[in-house]
Amino acid sequence: MHSYNRKSLKSAFVLRGPITVLALTIIMPTAGWLALGQKVEVAAPRINYARDIQPILKAKCLECHGNGQKQGGLQLETRAEMLQGGASGPALLPGDSSKSLLIQRVLGAGGKPVMPLGFTPLTAAQQVLLKAWVDQGAVWPTGLEKKHWAYIPPVKSKLPAVQNKGWVRNPIDTFILSRLEKEGLKPSPEADRVTLLRRVTLDLTGLPPTPAELDTFLADKTPNSYEHAVDRLFASPHYGEKMALPWLDTARYADSNGFQQDGDTYQYVWRDWVVKAMNSNMPFDQFTIQQLAGDLLPNATVDQKVATGFNRCCLLNGEGGAIPEEQRNVLLFDRVDVTATTWLGATMACAQCHDHKYDPLTRKDYYSFMAFFNNVPESGVPPFGGQYRIADPYIVVPTDEDNLKIQAIESRLNAAKKIQDASESTPTLREAQAAWEIQAIGAGANEVSLDPWQMSGPYPADSFDVAYDRQFDPEVGLKPEKPYALSSSDHPIKWTPHPEFKDAAVNALSGENSAFYLFRKIRSNRSVSQRLSFGSDDAIKVWLNGAQVVADKASRAASADQELVTVNLKAGENDLLIKIVNGGGIGGFYFKQLEAGIPADIVKLLHLGLGRSAADSAKVRDYYLANLAPAEVKQARAATAMIEKELADAKASFPKVMVMSDAQPRKTHLLLRGNYESPAEEVQAITPAAWSPMPASAPRNRLGLAQWLVSPENSLTARVQVNRYWQLFFGQGLVKTSENFGTQCEAPSHPELLDWLASEFRDSGWNVKKMQRLIVTSATYRQSSKCSAALRVKDPENRLVARGSRFRMPSLILRDIALSASGLLNPKIGGKPVYPYQPKGIWDGLAITNERDFSYPQSKGADLYRRSLYTFWRRTVAPANMFDASVRQTCKVRLVVTSTPLHALTTLNDVTWIEAARVLAQNVMAIPGSDPDLKLAVAFRRVCSRTPSASEVKVLHRGLDRAMRIYRADPSTAAASLKSGEAPLDTKLDPCALAAYSAVCLEILNLDEALTRE
Amino acid sequence: MNPLFENDLRASRRELFGKTASGIGIAAIASLLEQEGMAAPPGKEKLAIPGLQGLPHFAPKAKRVVVLWQGGAPSHVDLFQHQPLLEQRRMQQVPDSIRSKGRLSTMTAGQKNYPVLPPIKPFKQYGKNGMWLSEMLPYTGGISDEICLINSMHTEAVNHAPGVTLFMTGSQIPGRPSMGAWATYGLGCVTSELPAFCVMTSMDTGKTCGQLFYDYYWGSGFLPSRYQGVRFRGEGDPVLYLADPSGTSRSLRRGQLDDISELNHRRLTEFGDPEIETRITQYEMAYKMQTSVPDLLDISKEPKSILDMYGPDVQRKGSFARNCLLARRLLERGVRFVQLMHAGWDQHGNLDTQLALQCKDTDQPSAALVMDLKQRGLLDDTIVLWGGEFGRTTFVQGDITKPNAHGRDHLGTCYSMWVAGGGFKGGTVYGKPDEYCYNVEADGVHPYDLQATILHQLGIEHTKLTYRYQGRDFRLTDVHGALVPGIIS
Repeated sequence: MHSYNRKSLKSAFVLRGPITVLALTIIMPTAGWLALGQKVEVAAPRINYARDIQPILKAKCLECHGNGQKQGGLQLETRAEMLQGGASGPALLPGDSSKSLLIQRVLGAGGKPVMPLGFTPLTAAQQVLLKAWVDQGAVWPTGLEKKHWAYIPPVKSKLPAVQNKGWVRNPIDTFILSRLEKEGLKPSPEADRVTLLRRVTLDLTGLPPTPAELDTFLADKTPNSYEHAVDRLFASPHYGEKMALPWLDTARYADSNGFQQDGDTYQYVWRDWVVKAMNSNMPFDQFTIQQLAGDLLPNATVDQKVATGFNRCCLLNGEGGAIPEEQRNVLLFDRVDVTATTWLGATMACAQCHDHKYDPLTRKDYYSFMAFFNNVPESGVPPFGGQYRIADPYIVVPTDEDNLKIQAIESRLNAAKKIQDASESTPTLREAQAAWEIQAIGAGANEVSLDPWQMSGPYPADSFDVAYDRQFDPEVGLKPEKPYALSSSDHPIKWTPHPEFKDAAVNALSGENSAFYLFRKIRSNRSVSQRLSFGSDDAIKVWLNGAQVVADKASRAASADQELVTVNLKAGENDLLIKIVNGGGIGGFYFKQLEAGIPADIVKLLHLGLGRSAADSAKVRDYYLANLAPAEVKQARAATAMIEKELADAKASFPKVMVMSDAQPRKTHLLLRGNYESPAEEVQAITPAAWSPMPASAPRNRLGLAQWLVSPENSLTARVQVNRYWQLFFGQGLVKTSENFGTQCEAPSHPELLDWLASEFRDSGWNVKKMQRLIVTSATYRQSSKCSAALRVKDPENRLVARGSRFRMPSLILRDIALSASGLLNPKIGGKPVYPYQPKGIWDGLAITNERDFSYPQSKGADLYRRSLYTFWRRTVAPANMFDASVRQTCKVRLVVTSTPLHALTTLNDVTWIEAARVLAQNVMAIPGSDPDLKLAVAFRRVCSRTPSASEVKVLHRGLDRAMRIYRADPSTAAASLKSGEAPLDTKLDPCALAAYSAVCLEILNLDEALTRE
Repeated sequence: MNPLFENDLRASRRELFGKTASGIGIAAIASLLEQEGMAAPPGKEKLAIPGLQGLPHFAPKAKRVVVLWQGGAPSHVDLFQHQPLLEQRRMQQVPDSIRSKGRLSTMTAGQKNYPVLPPIKPFKQYGKNGMWLSEMLPYTGGISDEICLINSMHTEAVNHAPGVTLFMTGSQIPGRPSMGAWATYGLGCVTSELPAFCVMTSMDTGKTCGQLFYDYYWGSGFLPSRYQGVRFRGEGDPVLYLADPSGTSRSLRRGQLDDISELNHRRLTEFGDPEIETRITQYEMAYKMQTSVPDLLDISKEPKSILDMYGPDVQRKGSFARNCLLARRLLERGVRFVQLMHAGWDQHGNLDTQLALQCKDTDQPSAALVMDLKQRGLLDDTIVLWGGEFGRTTFVQGDITKPNAHGRDHLGTCYSMWVAGGGFKGGTVYGKPDEYCYNVEADGVHPYDLQATILHQLGIEHTKLTYRYQGRDFRLTDVHGALVPGIIS
């Protein structure tokens, strides 16, 4: 889709401030471009080799003229090498760029081919920097300067001097203002109070301020009213929800594994942990340690283990032929990438196949880092299963709701047990048991034997369902009184003996959407009860002597004891018939004969007679009651058993949260070309040498890694993190490449500010809310986002922050705004994911086999209106109306906001917004009085927070009249328009009027201003 | 300059200059463009959605691409690679020396026997060039003079998702931009009334295949999300949220948009944020799309002769045949990249029954699309690509004695794809497989090579269409890929 981009050319040259100016004057000394902005005369600034030049050389030159490569005899890694030059002579004449071969060749002077040969040439800005560096004498750094700035721990510099001291509210403003004053710019005035409250409320909670909150704020004339509002927002439980969103993008969080069969997960328990941690202002060092290594903390709590779900939010490939070890290595690569990007802003993935081209990271560093994650007892692929597919290792974490449910079931169970006890303790029953014992001892041994299996099939069908339901020939006419004929004259069925089918093992059957029939005779010397065990892939039905004893339309892999049943064999021949229905892939079945007649151990106890112990007597009694007692006793037992099963099922449905564990130590090898089949030398878990060393006290495992990340010496973690906070509140980071702090990153717009913030954050004990509060209470943050043409030309991207930022909210928040403004929002925090409106068929493509049901279980009632954070996120198919969102497949620390017609169609036509418009309309129509202007103004304010001007109301009113005319002309369309959404319709209202108001409310929800945080 | 910014900059440079040009040193900007080698060459397409400056890198042979993806992996042994020796070796073991070169999926890696299963149906020669193809592909045979059959494709992937992801995005692991995203990012599009990159999916009639199509097969990866493919859907709105809500007439919608636009213009005056102007434009484009998409999908005016070409399935919404016809309609309306994703070829255990059905689903419509483009003069500058993620084993998987219980497993070391139009050499067979159709002996073509060649035909030097992300210049072909001169004219 086409769109203008907020980014534009000129800002690129403004980024470096003084250098920028230099760049422009050199490229186009007569261009007059600068004249349009503020003309700034500054002395030529010094080029910093490490910051400005080395990245260019690394990106453009060293591939052929460095790292051992010496094309044309030239190497460019040291100043001496440059001076020495190659076949064409010295590359460098310090002080004169025009006579330096290095410069001539990158410009293609004299018709020579432009260097680098075969690659993208240097950009104009890069050329200018290189020239300026040579002209300044090609100064090569000594000592620390060699190091990339981000690898040197930040220090708090002194606050710079500023003239306009009255504007400064906190240190942030000093840095920003000092730079503005150098550029001859003034900060913008403070945003009006409504805009300010809307801005900070959206930024901190992701919701617009309510009219009541606005009124309170506007009425509060105390000097600290804004700070009070900010504190209220930090204390709001919605703060954690808002802050969790970017973290979930970082952690590639989703509610399913991805790939074929896309099994659901319970990782929402981890998501709730994040929200809680944010709300409780968990210090960032703790937040780090718990998520990376909570399981390794001494006496780790359940919460600390749940926290490690961070590194289990990866894609899991459940494809039939997936090679586990290959997939396991993909998981390891993913963890390296996510951890390094999230905490270090490092592009470690580049060092997977070869040493990093730009950053001082070797391939060995990469695999040594990977070694931290290589001890997880996991196979690499998810297990087979139904809806949920939870891969080892995991922990079972019942929620509060689950615990309540268990309590309720247990109390019913106790009641049922009482009834059972009463029914079992009658004297008659004891006498009957005694008689049975005597009879049983005298009866002699059971003899039960099995014939080999015979099979008929496969019988293919159009679908799994048909294969299960259809009575194919072998089961036609089955009746208890006329059990079975292997073939009759009516139905000549082909049976084949299968002596190779083993008991107590899974036997494979191949054929998709097909039924298979297995038959064998069971011979018994007397009438006796017999326990049988079956397993099936997928569905199964079983008949004994024509009577159905098992029917389970399961979708699963076969294993032992999936179906356990006790049958009564008659004396002589018994007919056992099994039907197996396989959906996709290979099918199979399992069969085992368990105890026949009275189990041997019971018989043994019977012979002991009175000499047996109380426990043994209880065993005998239990057997008797289960198998031979009268109906009412059996019923009571069945009732108990049913509740017990319910209890077991409820416990089985407890969330199983995938977590980290080091329970399976493995050796880690360097892998050639990243190929798991090509291991080379063994490596040990250690952090890259180019960065500060791990603290001596830190263990060489994930815990040590986490401690190293938040150690005071670590130069990256604090910078990377505060930069992302800045990005959150200004739309872009001080370092715009928030995912990359390596040598190829964009230099910070305000390096001293970045370092000051990073040091402050670290020294404050990693206090997140304190840091964020500092940002949102600064004068810098409070500026108006209105922008003059001159300022826009001077700084189109707002890198200097001479104005407030203005950007469209993420689509997840847009939905929250619509729900909140209309009054539909359900503010419940946490819990299972929900399934709000989604167009039909979004998931249908996933239902490729019958292993599980992929129909969308749309929520009902209040669950339709939960915040977007709680919308079920299927990794293979993201929620349909969450446009422009991170796809949650890889780590994303920066969202690119775009604007396309498809986004417009979503907010104009999706039922979410249509329903919100209708409910908003209902609510404003309920306001007493008949003045449409007032009602429209209220609707506008609920969405945009401000009161519209009279002329704006006029436009809305005109729209209302137009809509009213259209609907009155054809009232049936009004009725049709009101059917969207499940929220109750206010039937007392005139349908045409409500439809018309709804149409205008939809306009309001679609205003640029409504979608934007200004 | 900020490298990330550099990418977006190229795309928006012209617009920005257009807007702020008055008073700014135009000459200076022009000179800057010249210096960077980005000035647009003459005779470019008239674009409604701009591409990158400096693209195409050279005069293109092709302007459009349609991918007819055959998901699940069609059996090259049965369909494309004529090897009579296989019949003589029926039931003999595929020698270890042949098999040892590639990996197998876990489905047959543990198999004890590897008996040769020759093609299940005979091959015959088609066209003036005498191309050997299975008799199950009569219609493809009919266009054999138009197609370049590559019999030496090879890939490292042995499972579906990684295989498709590699071909579509240049990496087995999800997260990179897809080919269509790269093409539209680089080249822009001549229409703004339809998405520049459109995707449609279909499934084999028997629904036996079990292949899923993930949205990253047409994703934009780290490119801005506006470059991702837009999936047309078989049910409900053809494009998500396209239809006005019930009860909203066109005149009401027009009025709503007029009000929104008026209020947005006021805001623009007050804030001066060009994003507001963009939003106004996008809302107008959305309005137009609401007409152009239904028009696209309405095939009622297609003559019977055309419908007959595509076969009876064309009447069924969501069929591969219908999608082929719609692909032609998209292409003739100026859409840059069309990707049809069809599932149906994963015949592990049902080769005898399903292979013929799959050929029936796809053979006629694929050929019809090529013919239809040709008769409209569009084939010359449209690339039609047909194929799947890998091939299938020469040896049997399952029980060879049971008609409905055997098939072939995945094989990455050798397979076939065909390309027509767009300057590819028609009537040619390229590449040399070994006599078991198991490995490539000469002229191997990796997906990266084919990607490079497709981009080349679009006027793109594949090493130069890059995007700076995480400090690295990424490209579709990663660090690989070489032009295959033998398949283009």
